[in-house]
Amino acid sequence: MSWHVEPEMLEAYAHTAIDDAHAYSIEAHLVSCGECRAQIATLGDQKELETLWTEINGAITVPTPGIIERGLLRLGVKDHVARLLAATPSLSVSWLGGLILALGFAVTAAHLSSRGFLMFVVLAPLLPLAGVAVAYGPRVDPTYEIGLAAPLSSFHLLLVRASAVLTTSGGLAFVASLALPQKDWAMVTWLIPSLGLTLASLALTSVISPLRAATGLAFVWVSGSALALYYAANTAATAEDLFGGIVQLVMVLVTVASVALLFGRRGSFERGVRH
Amino acid sequence: MNSVRIEDAVKRFGSTRALDGVSLEASEGITGLLGPNGAGKTTLLKVLATVMSLDSGSIEIFGRDPSRHRHRLDIRRRLGYMPQEPGFHRSFTAFEFIDYVAILKEMTDRKARHAEVDRVIALTGLEKVAHKKIKALSGGMRRRVALSQALLGDPRLLILDEPTAGLDPEQRLRFREVMSRLGEERSILLSTHQTEDVAALCPRVIVMNHGKMLFEGTPKDLREVARGSVWFSEARAPEARLSWRTGEGVHRNIGTAPPGANLVDPSVEDGYLLLLGDEAFIEAAWRRSRQCAGRPWFTGRYR
Repeated sequence: MSWHVEPEMLEAYAHTAIDDAHAYSIEAHLVSCGECRAQIATLGDQKELETLWTEINGAITVPTPGIIERGLLRLGVKDHVARLLAATPSLSVSWLGGLILALGFAVTAAHLSSRGFLMFVVLAPLLPLAGVAVAYGPRVDPTYEIGLAAPLSSFHLLLVRASAVLTTSGGLAFVASLALPQKDWAMVTWLIPSLGLTLASLALTSVISPLRAATGLAFVWVSGSALALYYAANTAATAEDLFGGIVQLVMVLVTVASVALLFGRRGSFERGVRH
Repeated sequence: MNSVRIEDAVKRFGSTRALDGVSLEASEGITGLLGPNGAGKTTLLKVLATVMSLDSGSIEIFGRDPSRHRHRLDIRRRLGYMPQEPGFHRSFTAFEFIDYVAILKEMTDRKARHAEVDRVIALTGLEKVAHKKIKALSGGMRRRVALSQALLGDPRLLILDEPTAGLDPEQRLRFREVMSRLGEERSILLSTHQTEDVAALCPRVIVMNHGKMLFEGTPKDLREVARGSVWFSEARAPEARLSWRTGEGVHRNIGTAPPGANLVDPSVEDGYLLLLGDEAFIEAAWRRSRQCAGRPWFTGRYR
């Protein structure tokens, strides 16, 4: 170390009587200069200095968070919420990559045939449904048991994670739908079913395991869609005909009923969900 | 006031009674739970950690009823829990994982939270690996990470399910040092297969088997169970219920001692083995044979 902080500056720093720019410069120097650290240890209020050191130590030892957490922090998400979300399996880089790939295939299929477009409408609601199923619960969250014994509300954790999954899956599906060949309202017919199925799975999680709830609902949705496609095979039925009017209305009702059931049974999440 | 009070607790899994009328009270200090696999120790600790409910019986923790939402929350705010098989988000570093659990413990202020994470990391001696990914840590180190998260927030009740499993001798000594310090002013309930840990740490020991409590007392009381029933002989004594050759080449026998037998002071393990009989002996022998790299050193009817 070829230079040291001048004694007057060090004294001023020790008594926090210094502007931020100089303080930052001194702190940067103190990290690597044992002589100045020894000097400052003799100055100022020891308690105050300990607080300062805690802050410096915290700043230099806390590692850089992962890519998802960094992204969330940049979006303005609070640091503790970002960490809770970073531990969500369906918000991992690999999961999001898989999601983009699936949507890419669906959009390509939509460009190849009119049936391909219908496949997109069937597939899109399944993505947030699957994401929410693996976002919370004893089989998918390795720290589930520790979390259950902690005071943070499990229902709150579930909602935070489900909202984030629904937003990312829905957001990606919406972006993908902009690339669809159809440019009318039919390109978002998947939106309300997505909401309905995801909320229904959350509500059912208060009664059965998250994976069973999601699997059952996915089966009902795919079977119903397959039947509709089968009976419409020889007709000129469009996406609006198959997934419009009645399906949208039913899904709105499912959404409302699910929200009511979910909040009505929120206490059950604090006792633990089924395996 | 007792930190924990359970009366006639029953928990069934199908036709198995994991807890079969267990009653216990615990206040400040360390209570060790001993018992073979399937004895009901983990179920009892899960119930106390509020992650499992009872089928019947009553439970109070800090005078609160965990079946009531408000009371449960109050208990969880004063509780530290280390499960038997703690799971980790393996992409997190040890620091990030403990920080994550601190958030679950309602510590939202970043500075205060990080200071608390640093405190428990120092307490368990994890400073050097704090910023390593959990997937790169050894089993013993992960166990210490799991212990660290249980210590967050300085809980009044610590529930530790087999905290010493997988720790090397040095780590176990450090664990004992930390626990003995913490146990002075809070309640600690820990389960273990290591009778040495109980003898070294716990002023109170409970032995469980088949969902029932078989024994409750001090380690000295447990040793006394085997008083007059442990002796050395040159060859395996036919009267012995359990017998094995020690490192010194003599046989240590447990059972009804013959007249004139060379009686020795019993250990906590002797009392435990005698209390549980064959089942515990098989388990202890199996465990030790694994530690001896697959060369069982014990002799007797189970060889």
